[in-house]
Amino acid sequence: MTDVPTSVKPPLQRRFISDSAFPWLFPLLALLLVFAVYPFFYNIYLSVHEFVPRRRALEFVGSANWVKLFSDSRMWGALAVTLIYTGVCLLIQLVLGMLIALLLDSDDPGFGFLRGLLTLTLVIPPAVTAMIFLLLEDANFGVMTYYLQALGLLGSNPILANPSTALMGVMIADIWQWTPFMVLIFLAGLRALPPEPFESAVIDGASNWQVFRRLTLPMMSKVIAIAVLIRGIDLFRTFDYVYVMTSGGPGTATYTLSLYAWQQTFSFIKWGYGATLSLFSLIVILVIAHIYVGLTKLKW
Amino acid sequence: MKFNHNNRKRYLASVTDRYVKGQMDRRTFLRSAGKLGLGAGVLGLSATMPFGGRGGFINSAQALEIQPDADMMAWLKDAAKPFAGQTIKLATESTPPSNAINSALKPFFEEATGIKVEIEVLPLEQVLQKLTLDVASGLGTYDLYYIDQSWMASFSGDVIDPREKYEANSDLAMPNYNMDDFLPALVDGISMYDGIMVGVPYDIPIFITMYRKDIYDELGLKVPTTMEEYMANAVAIQEAKAPEIYGTTGQMKSGHYSLECDWTCWLWAHGGSIFGPDGKFTGNDDAGMAAMEYWIKLKENMPEGVTTWTWDGQGQSVLQGIAGQALSWGEFFPWWDGPDDSKVSGLMEAAVPPAPAAPLRTTDQTGYGEIPGVGHQGGSSLAVSKYSKHQDAAWLFAQWATSFDTQVYITALGGGTGPTRESVYDDPRIKANAKPGIPGTTRHLDVVRETIASHMGSEPDLPEWAELSNDTIPVELGRFWAGEYDSPKAAMDSIAKKVDGILKG
Repeated sequence: MTDVPTSVKPPLQRRFISDSAFPWLFPLLALLLVFAVYPFFYNIYLSVHEFVPRRRALEFVGSANWVKLFSDSRMWGALAVTLIYTGVCLLIQLVLGMLIALLLDSDDPGFGFLRGLLTLTLVIPPAVTAMIFLLLEDANFGVMTYYLQALGLLGSNPILANPSTALMGVMIADIWQWTPFMVLIFLAGLRALPPEPFESAVIDGASNWQVFRRLTLPMMSKVIAIAVLIRGIDLFRTFDYVYVMTSGGPGTATYTLSLYAWQQTFSFIKWGYGATLSLFSLIVILVIAHIYVGLTKLKW
Repeated sequence: MKFNHNNRKRYLASVTDRYVKGQMDRRTFLRSAGKLGLGAGVLGLSATMPFGGRGGFINSAQALEIQPDADMMAWLKDAAKPFAGQTIKLATESTPPSNAINSALKPFFEEATGIKVEIEVLPLEQVLQKLTLDVASGLGTYDLYYIDQSWMASFSGDVIDPREKYEANSDLAMPNYNMDDFLPALVDGISMYDGIMVGVPYDIPIFITMYRKDIYDELGLKVPTTMEEYMANAVAIQEAKAPEIYGTTGQMKSGHYSLECDWTCWLWAHGGSIFGPDGKFTGNDDAGMAAMEYWIKLKENMPEGVTTWTWDGQGQSVLQGIAGQALSWGEFFPWWDGPDDSKVSGLMEAAVPPAPAAPLRTTDQTGYGEIPGVGHQGGSSLAVSKYSKHQDAAWLFAQWATSFDTQVYITALGGGTGPTRESVYDDPRIKANAKPGIPGTTRHLDVVRETIASHMGSEPDLPEWAELSNDTIPVELGRFWAGEYDSPKAAMDSIAKKVDGILKG
């Protein structure tokens, strides 16, 4: 007679099957912990410390960095530039993106190819785009400068050396590179719209404008809202274009918050103040995004 | 053997294939490539920045003839036996010496010593970040530090004084290294801080006068010996040639260190200084105002783009033939004189900077070790980290990299970069390249040597200088050139207030 085991072991492969979600979430959680959660809390830690070069040490400074931040006129100037940059670029990219998307929303031959071309600007690194526009806008060698001057739209003052035109000079590079991103998102939304309401509207004699205003825009509102949110956050942390094209100049005319935070952190080794600036940027983005999500009734 | 275009390509493909497969050693490959008139460029040795910049150029002709000093290499082989297998690391700016060592010379050191050398070539500000992180952590990630002259105060406590190292261990003291051979002005200007020798002089970009001889001859201009003559020549060229060719050019991008470099040149040349003996900013005094007036007038004879250019754009403006003269980095000269991409090849000449318009201030009239001089220098030194775990291996490398023999090759391969050793200037191999219109000409080096000896200006040494010279001063100067200040006095007063505020903490 053989002994009957009191408990039966599951087959080997059963050990790798579990009803718990944790094993499946673990890789993602680990990544989040290492690359998001830990840096976030370390940033908070840094914001109440400051690196003292002479003593080669991080020293606790309490709220000094935050006090300094709110009394720092450079920071407020950089925030204003960032908000203007974000607002203007977003508006132009939104309008241009929608116009181009409407033009390309067709099944006629060749339109697929045109839509494919839109991805080209997106694969260029922003720093390279900035170098291209730096040359295009150069006062002596720049093609853009030459034609703007020939048309009487620009004086002898270089675009990027004039406080009143420098920011626009940088924004042109951003708009050129990222408008196609908006077009692609809008095109995806447009092509997913059901045709029936549009056919009914045409039968009822609605004009193109009425169709766009009464049907396309409302039906696309969530897509537009998502696109604006993604681009808005991206624009708010703009760094590459200003770093390459103007270094924040002339003076402080194109200093963005990201550039200022980077400079304080890495050029001047003020790790505490740099962390405070980046936390402040995060808070501003979160507040604006929260209000925006509330206003547009976006659901995640 | 005579090559037509197709034969050249076939020959190159063949030798490259054999080199890659290990059927040909590096030296034979270089010699073979040299038959095509190709050189270091084939191996990716060229290390120019987008506009050429201060990165320097590899002289292909010299790349074929590297034969390190046999005695030195034999000594290295012997001295390095205990350290064979170690790896040492250096983070450095993209400068001619670093590029030449990293691209072409390093294998000779590694082969002789068995020490592996890892060199990270980075933009200057990233080098500063890496060094700061290294000294803050004390980990000794980098065994060697590339120390810009403006950082000496910050890192003087984190390095080993090379004089002490040389004397402390005779087994590791390179025979005939001869520390006295380093140009004395350089030792004071880029290596010494508060009695400590922070590192050995490594490279020396310095302002010299460079001008278009063809234009000078055409207009009957003399080489400027005074600031007034320099201005007069700029005005004369401007009146005769603009807008095709401007009187002079600049590196005046707002918020960039290059703008501060230009400013100090004019400031010192008018008897001014950045700091007074009490440590307060003095760029807003009478001499400072005279300098600004001069600079404003000079800018009227520059291309419109100067306020958007760093040294890259300035170099490009001369290269493209739109500027008649410049008082700027001597490292530009071989680039402009080279036959490949320059419109002014063979047309340039070099001269020492003009005499100052007012007596230069002495060091006891300035602050933080500032040494006024029209020839603004941006040199650096090579230092052994006191946190390094391979200090002896790093010290061997530092000696080899700054030895006479290596400096000769650096100067040749680096395309006429200024050596820091007196004897290198007189070496026949360097003299042989003193010809117009060839790659990596050295015909400006006598001027460089004289400028170092008699006209050199050095920035102050203080820990806050990195912030002041890279942000506070060039940002406010940028605002001035953008028209945001009513007068130069208002701009300089504003800078004084900000600088003194930062120094007070």
